[in-house]
Amino acid sequence: MLNQGDEARIERLPGEFRERRPAWQVLTSEKYIKWFLVIPLLVVLGVFAFYPLFYCLYMSFHEAILIRPPEFLGLDNYRKILHNRLFWNSVGRSASTVVVCVGIEITLGLGIALFLNREFRGQNIVRGLCLLPLMVSPLAMSLMWKYFLEPQFGIVNVMLSWIGFSQVAFLSESGVALYTIMFMEIWKWLPFSIFVFLAALRGLPKDAFEAARVDGASPWFTFKKLTLPMLKPFMMIVILLRVMWLIRLSDPLFGTTQGGAGTEVLDWYIYRIAFIRFDIGEGTTLALIALLMTIIIGAVLFRQLIKALGAAR
Amino acid sequence: MRRVMFWIAVVIVLCAFILPIAWVYVTSLKSPEDIFRPEKLAFLPTLYNYKYIVTVRPSLLEFRNALIITLASTALVMGVSLPAAYSFARFNTGGGHLLFITISTRMFPPVVAAIPFFFLFRDWGLLDTHLGLILLYIYFNMSFATFLLYGFFREIPEELEHAAMVDGYGRLSIFRKVIFPLIKPGAAITTVFCLVWAWNEFLFAFLFTRRVARTVAVGLAVFWGSIEIQWGPMAALMGLAILPTLAAAWFMQRFIIRGLTFGAVKG
Repeated sequence: MLNQGDEARIERLPGEFRERRPAWQVLTSEKYIKWFLVIPLLVVLGVFAFYPLFYCLYMSFHEAILIRPPEFLGLDNYRKILHNRLFWNSVGRSASTVVVCVGIEITLGLGIALFLNREFRGQNIVRGLCLLPLMVSPLAMSLMWKYFLEPQFGIVNVMLSWIGFSQVAFLSESGVALYTIMFMEIWKWLPFSIFVFLAALRGLPKDAFEAARVDGASPWFTFKKLTLPMLKPFMMIVILLRVMWLIRLSDPLFGTTQGGAGTEVLDWYIYRIAFIRFDIGEGTTLALIALLMTIIIGAVLFRQLIKALGAAR
Repeated sequence: MRRVMFWIAVVIVLCAFILPIAWVYVTSLKSPEDIFRPEKLAFLPTLYNYKYIVTVRPSLLEFRNALIITLASTALVMGVSLPAAYSFARFNTGGGHLLFITISTRMFPPVVAAIPFFFLFRDWGLLDTHLGLILLYIYFNMSFATFLLYGFFREIPEELEHAAMVDGYGRLSIFRKVIFPLIKPGAAITTVFCLVWAWNEFLFAFLFTRRVARTVAVGLAVFWGSIEIQWGPMAALMGLAILPTLAAAWFMQRFIIRGLTFGAVKG
């Protein structure tokens, strides 16, 4: 059934009676609707994304510590940070966390997904249970592991002592602590890649695999030439999202090391400067540098994703 | 034989994911004396820890706050993201750049975004209020919700809309009558993701609330902040706090079967 507005829209030529149409109809007309629909998003972006950005841009050129009025510094903050070893160390830690975690999550996640991608009794229950770690809050997760890994009475160390190992201070020994953090992250986020890959495997066209089987292709060949290329867009999605989130890693540190024992990753360094030292000028400058790095990495990965999506079509 | 191997592997994978969580619940039933002997399995279960967190701490208030903030912010996020994602998917609004900008809001270090918000909220009197956190969570969840929904909208073939248009539907009625029924599963997954993340979010809640609007996630942090950590009550609160999200996990896996395919392959 047509309602009146639609009837009118069809009969008129575009733009003919524009002044007489009420604002609502103009906004929902074919020409403007796509912008009309993003108005709320643009409002949120304007308030919550651009305001902090400009605030930081302004502050990064100033010396601003605590409540003293900001003093203009020019590019001094940037110079100071780029020559600071602590900053580059934290960048290095973030980089190795990203590489190790994403690498393990992709390979292990794909492996488990391939392995679970079959019909078996209780498959829904098994898959549902696999999702659980993803749902635990990062802070609860970090406190949980802190309890398990406690040197004196943590269950892990108790079990290690049963098989004759000495205690390991998983969260306070530098050189070990960062790997513990990585392990916690992987434990929590492995289900994410498992589920994206599982969903992807379910969506693959059956006939291509049927054809490969009829032609007598080996499973490994089928995997390399059919499955992997078809999974590439999903791999890119996982990589893109996980890299973005891992660069912003800070929550698990709150409940565990608090940046000690050689675990000060980039965001914790920023947090320490901005909220513990309360050096707003340097903190905001750090934020902008971190943002720039992330956007460059993100843009490269995003382009790869779009390319992979295009190729899969 | 192959079946046995398969099930052994399934059990190993499940244990790796579930045992740590199950252990939290086991710990929460231990009395204060047994807490420091984690290997002791034959202990007398007690509800001491649960009683403690309900009577001594304002845990119930924290749960109520978290519930209000989570539900309100998720509803608003969906109100913002659904139309925007549709616009991106169907009209390629902003030529991909706007979508990238939306995603990139999550690239900004939240610890730093918190500084300007802190001063802004102080001036507007939004510190330690529900509304303040709700607004922050819109910002927090919007980018991923839009990205996820964008993928789901891309899955809906454009021809359906053309057909509806030929039948004389306007854009809005197409959105209501054709698109919405098809996007429901995707919207449900996105909603659950937003609910879980808003429920779990820690940093903003930690920095922006004191007493009135404090959420469960921050309540947990209070244990860690104290000098001697009370592991028992902490495990109890943790167990209660992750309960709703575990329910969410159950809900989610039903939809996985329908394919969380992000609109990539089917086109």
